Amino acid sequence: MAARELMYREALREAIDEEMARDPTVFIIGEGIAERGGSYKVTEGLLAKYGPKRVRDTPIAEAGMIGVGVGAAIAGARPIVEILYVDFAMLGMDMIVNQAAKFRLMTGGDGRVPFVLRTQGGAGGGVAAQHSQSLEALFYHIPGLKVVMPSVPADAKGLLKHALRQQDPVMFLEHKHLYMTKGLVPDGEHVVPFGVADIKRAGSDVTIIAWSNMVSRAMDAAEAMAAEGIECEVLDPRTLVPLDRAAILASVAKTHRVVIVQEAVRRGGVASDIASIIQEEAFYDLDAPVQIVAGLNIPIPFNLALEKASVPQTDDVIAAVRRVLHSNAMA
Amino acid sequence: MAEAILVPQVGQDLTEAKIVAINVKLGDKVAKGDIVAEVESEKATFEVEAFCAGIVISLPFAVGDVAPVLEPLMHLGAAGETVGGTLAPVALDPVAAPAPVAATPQPPAPDLPAGRQRSSPLARRIAAQGGLDIVRLTGSGPRGAVVLRDVTAALQGSILAAFRPAPGVVSLQNGRGIPVVFLHGFGGELAAWRPLVMRIGVPNPMVGVDLAGHGAAPAASIASFAALVDDTAARLAAAGLSHVHLVGHSLGAAVATALADRTDMQVRSLTLIAPAGLAPGMNGGFIAGFLGARSEAALGIWMQSLVHQPSSLPAAMVRATFAARQGTDAAARQTAIAAALFEGDTQLFSIRAALLRVSCPARVIVGREDAILPAAHGLPPQIALHRLPGVGHLPQTEAAGLVARLVTETIHSTGGTPAAA
Repeated sequence: MAARELMYREALREAIDEEMARDPTVFIIGEGIAERGGSYKVTEGLLAKYGPKRVRDTPIAEAGMIGVGVGAAIAGARPIVEILYVDFAMLGMDMIVNQAAKFRLMTGGDGRVPFVLRTQGGAGGGVAAQHSQSLEALFYHIPGLKVVMPSVPADAKGLLKHALRQQDPVMFLEHKHLYMTKGLVPDGEHVVPFGVADIKRAGSDVTIIAWSNMVSRAMDAAEAMAAEGIECEVLDPRTLVPLDRAAILASVAKTHRVVIVQEAVRRGGVASDIASIIQEEAFYDLDAPVQIVAGLNIPIPFNLALEKASVPQTDDVIAAVRRVLHSNAMA
Repeated sequence: MAEAILVPQVGQDLTEAKIVAINVKLGDKVAKGDIVAEVESEKATFEVEAFCAGIVISLPFAVGDVAPVLEPLMHLGAAGETVGGTLAPVALDPVAAPAPVAATPQPPAPDLPAGRQRSSPLARRIAAQGGLDIVRLTGSGPRGAVVLRDVTAALQGSILAAFRPAPGVVSLQNGRGIPVVFLHGFGGELAAWRPLVMRIGVPNPMVGVDLAGHGAAPAASIASFAALVDDTAARLAAAGLSHVHLVGHSLGAAVATALADRTDMQVRSLTLIAPAGLAPGMNGGFIAGFLGARSEAALGIWMQSLVHQPSSLPAAMVRATFAARQGTDAAARQTAIAAALFEGDTQLFSIRAALLRVSCPARVIVGREDAILPAAHGLPPQIALHRLPGVGHLPQTEAAGLVARLVTETIHSTGGTPAAA
């Protein structure tokens, strides 16, 4: 099938455009998304195409706009709420956790909440503690929410399209440093289901599980190790909830060694939960403890050098791969 | 269908409620919305409302009883209906739990010796499956831990060093791990396994054995099936092949089953292709014709009975079998063995009892058009049976790809294939 190279943000726009054309109940609200086409240019051109009823700017009122989105979803629409920084989604946590996540179950399955909250997180631009967090663990922990973290344009498009067709609240977590990255996106209808991991690079010696911006670190580490004859398998879960456990366990059964890379702070992160699943269900397949490479347990510093030191870099992943291969007998 | 009316949740953390009023009795007709009872907690009195209509068919409580919260207070249903013996618990969370991921079958870790040896779970598993005592190993992992590469190195060393080729015991393929030993059928020889061995995708060493009286096997006087099994076991032990996977065809499959039954052999898996000894009957005419043929053409005609499609019998197999008889006493030796094993249309041995005792993974592969042995039936339930349509007595030739795959699966199912390092 033919494919074109698109930027991550262009792939997202295509997804929104196609789904808005296909389904009149899809609409999008957020700060600066209409007139300005979005701070990350994801919604450029959509106001002109779909009009102000379906592409709306909001005031700076995250709790309000998230509440509006959840309510609209309950009432039968398919809203996308764009929150500029995942850090600000905290203002709407009651709506997300106590309302959106619970509504279907509390109504005995009668009520559905097809609400998509699109936001971005991540460090690297010197925008400091309140604008650089990776908070997927908070949403991962709440039953009733789906957590989606695409790493490449094709996945971004396919997963967002699926999000806008399914029935449950989705935390669609983009990364600020992925918006301008490029990748091939298949032509035509390209929908990626939830709960299906993607092997970004096949290998037989070590499994590196990574998502969002850490996938590129994992790929760089894999390339460096390949020069030494070590073939790393890079597994991108794409959706953390639902998690493709079967793919993870199959990869572990094949390689016997696992490194999990997460940009988020180590403590209470998703990597720890994945590691616990692996040790419980694949204990006898492991030749070494599961290695986790994660952010330091600190807020992201403003200073650029300190910021870089506070999240995983490629060398950190390489060091973990060596540890899990017992290449460093002192470890 | 009976509907349960539950004792209401009367307050956070409260587990019981006292029944202070029951407004119905058994057999009463209840309408939706009727207040059927009242319960009381330390905090308040609650009216219990019927959420559906029905007849009271079960009412196990009386006024003054203390009832557990969220348990059935009474059941409504149709006249004459009874509540089932075990009630399905009322689903409190209507969302179905996600289907549990089928756990990878994990073999239990062997008991670790007391002491300070460290080892990875994988190393322990592979060592146990390879019959290796991990205590004897030195580890190259962190702080001296025994890890996979230490175990695979030890297994490689121990297996390859232990296998000593001997007359009629020949390596068909080098490899790592527990050897797979192939036992041919009556009138055959180990070389005939080569086309199958080439298709089997496991890294284990593969060894072919010529049964007594066949191929290059040392001369032996075989007066019975038991004697044949003893002779084979002794030769395997002498070659260092007591801990093996076995693949056998016809008579060789019967021998393999008997070997698995012995305490001096450790057989990890059994693949039995067209096994003899399952039922008394056999095509005695084939044995007589096969042994008595004096020309290659006649031999070829008799050997056609071995397969269903004449074209599946390789001409090379006929030529080789005929050539092996020229200028040797091969035919005489095989006739002597036949006399010990067969009488007319009867097999003088049975493997049915031994099959019942098989404890390793085992499967039987037969052709539905087998013209030499009767249809296989009555196998113990833990043994898989594959019945191949359009195939005769030589599945390993007539359906080589499938048989190779099934052999591979049987070996893999023991977990005995060393993991790629």
